[in-house]
Amino acid sequence: MQKSKLLKIYKNFLKIRLCQEKIIDKYHPEDKMKCPMHLCIGQELMPSVLGYYLKKNDSIFSHHRSHGYFLANKGSMKEMISEFYGKETGTNGGLAGSQELSCTKTNFYSGTILSGAFAMAVGDAFAKISKKQNNISVAVIGDGGMEEGITFEAINLAHLMKLPVLFVCENNMYSTHTNIKERSRTSLVSDRVKGFRIKTILVKNQNLYKLDHILNKTINNMRKNKEPVFLEILTYRFNGHVGPEGDDHFNYRPKKEINYWKHRDPLVKLEKLINSQKIIKEIKNDIIKEITSSFNFAEKSKLAKKWEQFNFNNGYSKAVKSFYKKRIFFSSKQEDHKPSSGKPY
Amino acid sequence: MIKTNRILSFSQAIKEAQTQAMKIDPKVFIFGLGVDKTAHIFSTTKNLKQKFGKKRIFDTPASEQALTMFAAGAANAGMRPILIHQRLDFMVYTFDQLVNWIALWSFKSAGKSKMPLVIRAVVGRGWGQGPQHAKCLHSMFAHVPGLKIVMPSSPSEAKGLLLSSIFSNDPVIFIEYRSLYNSKEFVPQKPYFLDIDTPNLRIKGKDFTVVSIGAGVLTSLRASKILEKNNISFDLFDCRSANSFKMAKIFNSLKKTKRLLVVEDGWSKISFSSEVISRVVESGIKLKSPPSRIAWPNSHIPMSTKLEKNFYFSENEIVNKIKNQFINTL
Ligand SMILES: Cc1ncc(C[n+]2csc(CCOP(=O)(O)OP(=O)(O)O)c2C)c(N)n1
Repeated sequence: MQKSKLLKIYKNFLKIRLCQEKIIDKYHPEDKMKCPMHLCIGQELMPSVLGYYLKKNDSIFSHHRSHGYFLANKGSMKEMISEFYGKETGTNGGLAGSQELSCTKTNFYSGTILSGAFAMAVGDAFAKISKKQNNISVAVIGDGGMEEGITFEAINLAHLMKLPVLFVCENNMYSTHTNIKERSRTSLVSDRVKGFRIKTILVKNQNLYKLDHILNKTINNMRKNKEPVFLEILTYRFNGHVGPEGDDHFNYRPKKEINYWKHRDPLVKLEKLINSQKIIKEIKNDIIKEITSSFNFAEKSKLAKKWEQFNFNNGYSKAVKSFYKKRIFFSSKQEDHKPSSGKPY
Repeated sequence: MIKTNRILSFSQAIKEAQTQAMKIDPKVFIFGLGVDKTAHIFSTTKNLKQKFGKKRIFDTPASEQALTMFAAGAANAGMRPILIHQRLDFMVYTFDQLVNWIALWSFKSAGKSKMPLVIRAVVGRGWGQGPQHAKCLHSMFAHVPGLKIVMPSSPSEAKGLLLSSIFSNDPVIFIEYRSLYNSKEFVPQKPYFLDIDTPNLRIKGKDFTVVSIGAGVLTSLRASKILEKNNISFDLFDCRSANSFKMAKIFNSLKKTKRLLVVEDGWSKISFSSEVISRVVESGIKLKSPPSRIAWPNSHIPMSTKLEKNFYFSENEIVNKIKNQFINTL
């Protein structure tokens, strides 16, 4: 792997990891981020590598475990942290919190009701084709979300209409505290999807090289050939399902399993590959600076005030603006309403 | 004021609105089950495929949920989708998409994102459509902030309101009663826009204020013709939208007539008519008789012809109600 690419992926990864560790440190003692949060520590690899391949005007539609994708897609950390604090400078004006993080500027959208965003990516990809953009839409989901019927409708639509959607399923084996084996007799999600004859890919073991190779090839291909692809990555969440505290005292995951995955933390591998403490330290320092200034920015910002006015846009399309001024006024009372006689049709 | 002598049916008016919208803006497209086939959604999409091609109007699998999010994804990216459901009942599949995503899209982005989509849905009403094909759930949708529920009552209203809905930056659920498709009216040829949020004073009168929406407006118009003979007349307001209508004009009318009847083709409990009546009560305007309403019974809709006929109200019920109240409170 080229050095420059490796460093970029590492930066993405470390930013996601350290930023969330800071959130864990601050969440309870300070109690200023009062919203539910799904951290993605342990699952940073996919967003980190994907971020490297995304271009301007590509979009991401993510599930609730979204921080990694937000940051890797060039989302502003300042605005993300401010959002958690409920500040007006937040990326959603403080109205959404972590669960529905979005950023219009970077085409990043997410939501916490399972699976809606996944299907939304299909319509987004259609818009890209209609506007003749050479971009892709990425739909991210968990193994739990893949149990909702809408996901199969969405995959079928994208396949039928030849839309450039990269469906990504992060299979961490658990839906909240329920193992996939208790939820289905097919524990590989991609097995269920294959019947649509859409191209499916499975990445095991948090394998950096394989993932990089596949994304490189697949995304280039998708830009040219306008076909959807379904990629499943087997991964593991190191922390609790929701919130900063662990939930392993509930004993829903075997200790052996936890250790297996923690020993394969991709961060260790990345640092081994970089093989220079000096470079690692430099990168780390830069990231810590960004994190500190993001939290300071959030602290200093004002709490959100505006809310009600956002329920409706109340505006109209630019396409009819000039035309709208010349709108026709007429009163239907001048006209004779002539209902048809007999049956409605 | 524009005068026109051109008569269109309700379905022709809707087709014309869609055709003009598609010409004005290449971002407008139509999709849904069977939209480009056979009956062409009561002829409202006829020939559009020949005119605009299969990229702008296309048939789909029966995947209402994904189709609704498809519309949302396209709208968020700047397109102006029109998704059509041949029966409103099919839309119930899509409550999650409407309530958890589309309705709050602008809100949760603090106004940074838009959701300019239209969902057209047909209310079966009549001819044995029965409990799964004739429901009208406008009041249920109307409860949710962030959605505009538009219910046209006539061809000229349908054209202007549909154009306004398509080019509005907010999500609109556009509800069409099947019983109106063949009703006819003068309709101006040029594209025009009607204000979704302002009730339209359909006819002027002196004795009563009748407030209605959708098909109820036509039934009320028929009632007014009968009442003319008794020398009773009413102001008839067509609210156009089931949840974003403004009350000012209606209040002014009530100050004059002091009598209110709400006519609604839909279940009466917790409904559009409940909302209108409570706002009038809250306004403190003194009425000569208690506010009243005519709406559907709070029951599922029977298929059997005779039961069905009795289920729906006709102009006669309106006439009787008005006569009784009027005579009792003279
Ligand atoms: C429609 C719906 N049902 C249930 C939930 C509650 N819920 C939130 S996260 C979650 C688990 C989802 O698991 P998965 O998709 O695998 O993602 P993970 O949390 O493992 O990253 C559940 C059931 C929800 N948000 N939406």
